[in-house]
Amino acid sequence: MKEDTKEETMRAPGTGVPADVAPVPALPPHYSTASPPDGPVTPSPLRAWFYLVGLSLQRQARVGQIVWIALGLLAFSGLLVGTITVSGWWGMQNRRLPRSREGVTYQNWAELTDALSQGAALPGSPEVAGINQALVASYRAALERTDFYVFSNFLVFTIFVSFLLPIWSLSFAADSLGGDREGGSLVWLLTRPLSRPAIYLAKFVALLPWSIGLSVGGFAVLCLAGGRPGWQALRFYWPAVFSGTLAFSALYHLMGAYFKRPAIVALLYSFFLETLLGNMPGYLKRGSISFYTRCMMFDAAQNYGVEPEKPSVYLAVDGSTACMVLLAATVVFLVVGMVLFSRSEYLAAD
Amino acid sequence: MSVPLLHYRPWNGELRGPVASVWPIARVALRVIFRRKLFWGIYGLGLMIFLLFFFGQYLLSWAEDQGDETNVSVMGFKESPKTLVHVLREILKLDGEPHTYRNFFWYQGYIVMVVLALAGAVLIGNDIHHGSMPFYLSKPISRWHYLAGKCLAISVFINLLTTLPALILYVQYGLLKSMDYFVDQFRTALGILGYGALLTVSLSLLVVATASLVRRTVPLIMIWTGLFFFCRLLSQALVDLLHYSRLWRLIDLWNDAYIVGNALLGIDPEKLTPREQPTWYEALTVLGAMCLICLIYLIPRIRAVEIVR
Amino acid sequence: MPDLLDSADTGGRDRALEASPVSRPASVTTEPNSSPADHGKWIADAARDARPLLLFEQVSKWYGPVIGVNKVTLELRPGITGLVGSNGAGKTTLLRLATGQLRPDLGQVSVRGIDAWSVEAKRRVGYCPDADAFYEEMTGRQFVEAMTRLFGYPRREAVRRAGAALEAVDMNGRAERRLRGYSKGMRQRIKLAQALAHDPELLVLDEPMSGIDPVGRQEFVALFRRLAEQGKCLIVSSHELEELEKLTDHVAIMARGRIAAIGTLAEIRELLDDHPFSIFVECAVSDDRRTLAKAILDLPDVAGVEMEDAGGIVIRARNPRRFFKEFAGVVLEENLDVRRLETLDDSAQAILGYLLGGGR
Repeated sequence: MKEDTKEETMRAPGTGVPADVAPVPALPPHYSTASPPDGPVTPSPLRAWFYLVGLSLQRQARVGQIVWIALGLLAFSGLLVGTITVSGWWGMQNRRLPRSREGVTYQNWAELTDALSQGAALPGSPEVAGINQALVASYRAALERTDFYVFSNFLVFTIFVSFLLPIWSLSFAADSLGGDREGGSLVWLLTRPLSRPAIYLAKFVALLPWSIGLSVGGFAVLCLAGGRPGWQALRFYWPAVFSGTLAFSALYHLMGAYFKRPAIVALLYSFFLETLLGNMPGYLKRGSISFYTRCMMFDAAQNYGVEPEKPSVYLAVDGSTACMVLLAATVVFLVVGMVLFSRSEYLAAD
Repeated sequence: MSVPLLHYRPWNGELRGPVASVWPIARVALRVIFRRKLFWGIYGLGLMIFLLFFFGQYLLSWAEDQGDETNVSVMGFKESPKTLVHVLREILKLDGEPHTYRNFFWYQGYIVMVVLALAGAVLIGNDIHHGSMPFYLSKPISRWHYLAGKCLAISVFINLLTTLPALILYVQYGLLKSMDYFVDQFRTALGILGYGALLTVSLSLLVVATASLVRRTVPLIMIWTGLFFFCRLLSQALVDLLHYSRLWRLIDLWNDAYIVGNALLGIDPEKLTPREQPTWYEALTVLGAMCLICLIYLIPRIRAVEIVR
Repeated sequence: MPDLLDSADTGGRDRALEASPVSRPASVTTEPNSSPADHGKWIADAARDARPLLLFEQVSKWYGPVIGVNKVTLELRPGITGLVGSNGAGKTTLLRLATGQLRPDLGQVSVRGIDAWSVEAKRRVGYCPDADAFYEEMTGRQFVEAMTRLFGYPRREAVRRAGAALEAVDMNGRAERRLRGYSKGMRQRIKLAQALAHDPELLVLDEPMSGIDPVGRQEFVALFRRLAEQGKCLIVSSHELEELEKLTDHVAIMARGRIAAIGTLAEIRELLDDHPFSIFVECAVSDDRRTLAKAILDLPDVAGVEMEDAGGIVIRARNPRRFFKEFAGVVLEENLDVRRLETLDDSAQAILGYLLGGGR
């Protein structure tokens, strides 16, 4: 063998069993993976894909901590909402104007107004009395409807959309691929005969029941705990919650394919960039997912006085546009993620 | 195998005690984080706020120097210097007063939170999850030295984002104004250092305890954001929207540090925003209790390996 | 010699270029679940496919500025090939390229003519990775079944195959515990079982015997040889040459990302004997180097000696085993104080390290 053989194709010939080694013992009698008793079974890629979806769905709950913390947040929020509901604090009835211990509650204002209008009614003028009564009645009716307004602003916009929605989406979506990368177990999927886009899609489909279940289901639980205003909120806002969850999940799943620590990047996005963009003037805020979620909510509940603080500055879009943007964003993130995942090489976990 | 067979050169120095291990542990931790592009990306975002303050102060000084000019050109925009001064001083509060630095610390909250989540996951979470603790604890150091090293590293990140930029702003303002500023506002400098020290002690213990509790990144982030964002939103909603007692603001840890920092900087508590805040000693009690709980938790947690003597 | 060995031994270069079918010797028991006819047909089919099972064509792979695999050309057919090299030689990179986890920056990797990155190629490959990350919440059996189902087999078939594979690696009685409670050896067996379950043509095994006790290693050796007899191609990487010597006579040695040598151990030794190498020698006393150089030049294996400005000499020689023996004799005879001895030729150093010293 000369040096130039290095330049030729190097062939390893075959089993070169050393002569001085003991003979091969027989393998266990059952061992044969080659031929099943009923005839050869052809493996099916579609069957493999569906199995991967099921396996990933099951494995999403493997990090018990994530599930418990998510449920803990839900329990805590639910308890808080329930306490407020039971003590009747949703409406403005018990708020004081002016805001101090000496202020009069709105409920009292309604009664005072009623009493005043009756006392001050012009004698012999049923028309004036009628107008007075109509005014007081509509004031009372409006006061009754303020519970939905308060519920929307307190729970839905402040607590849910700003925090619970992104964090519940993040918990499962960032861990879907990110957890396997961090743990080093992605190798098992990458060496199966499954195309990379198929693996990515299967993982996404598997995480959706978890993130949607938690977001929409969790929202439903909070709304139920909110009593009457909660029911209204659920009816109006669930499509926005659903669409927002889809978009967040798709984005975080994409981060899982690209970044080594997708959870940190997702955190940066949802609690820094979204806050920053959300407070930017003009059209910059249209780069954030929660903007469109809120627009859908504003559109759904506009008849109840639920609107952005400064509508001319906020420049909200209508509900159907916002919904389409969220769904389109979901598809775009999914496609980009599939392309990225199919081109990337994943080495050992860091 | 005896040492001579390994051909080591003989060393006649004195072995230092375990306290000397604190800096090497911190140094390694810093190196691990500093070589990550993600950290520098996050740090860059954090510097945005600092740059806003930095250039704002410079612009203020320049605008004040324009005197009675009616119109000056700023990057192509024509504006009256008096308007500029008013916006920068009265609205953005870039006037070199203690509340400038207090506000700066407040605005850095989001980024500090993200950086600490990263640091916690990488420095402590990885050690426990990948079994690196035996490497530390099999050396003649105690868990306190390990803890001190990690807290020292985390304190560097906190101070790089808060205390150090705030001091740079302080020095910048003094240089732009006059040297008397450093004398008149000496207490402010101490206040900045005190606020930084408060954040260092409380946040480093909190992040080490949290990362030891949940070693994986996603649960760590969920708890971390729960402690900061959820509690902040909750306290704002309870006090501002539902008009509950001001003491509910105590659940927001960043706000507690803000109140104590406000006191350290010598600012009248009435000037705190939003209004209806707890007192500084109430906030300090909560922070102190939190640190104590973290320490109590960490005592058994870091004893992960039996050291056989 | 038992018949089994005679028919299994396909060593020798003449037969190297053919993927010749291995005929079943009469002494082997027929398994109840398969007929000899099926098996023989499978082997015959595999043999008729003339495309190599694994082919690297001028493959290079970089990790940033560092080269992992450097212009490797390699063709494997049925049988066992050992892949040996030091840490950082590029073995794992090579195996990852073979299993489609990495794409080559230059060149092409194919399995039966199909790009290794593609789905179709992965169907024919069973991979036993070096890394130790499982789905820890599963039991061993569940894990192997899951890996088999990911190939697209229905549940019953996956259970059957997983059972057979676990039986082959002697894990049948121990596979019901959760993986997080397994020892290193048990984890290795599970890794091997999942690689075998779908009956691949090509088995890529990255340090499969790491963590296995000596008795277990014997079992593994027997298993691998049996698999090779069935016409499979196994590429087994290790950094322990003694371990591979029991398994196969054909090795490929990797050093610095290149295949430094390939063939039987005897052939490689012969290659080394002819391959000139350089060593640097430094004496404590500067004048001694002339004495050494003069004495060394008389040795038959020495091709030349060069005096270095740095104070030592560079010797070019052949036949390292003989040369070093003689060199030692010269040093003792002339009573020289040799302070430093260093091999300058990288690939030879690697080969020497493994073949002469039996590992670093």
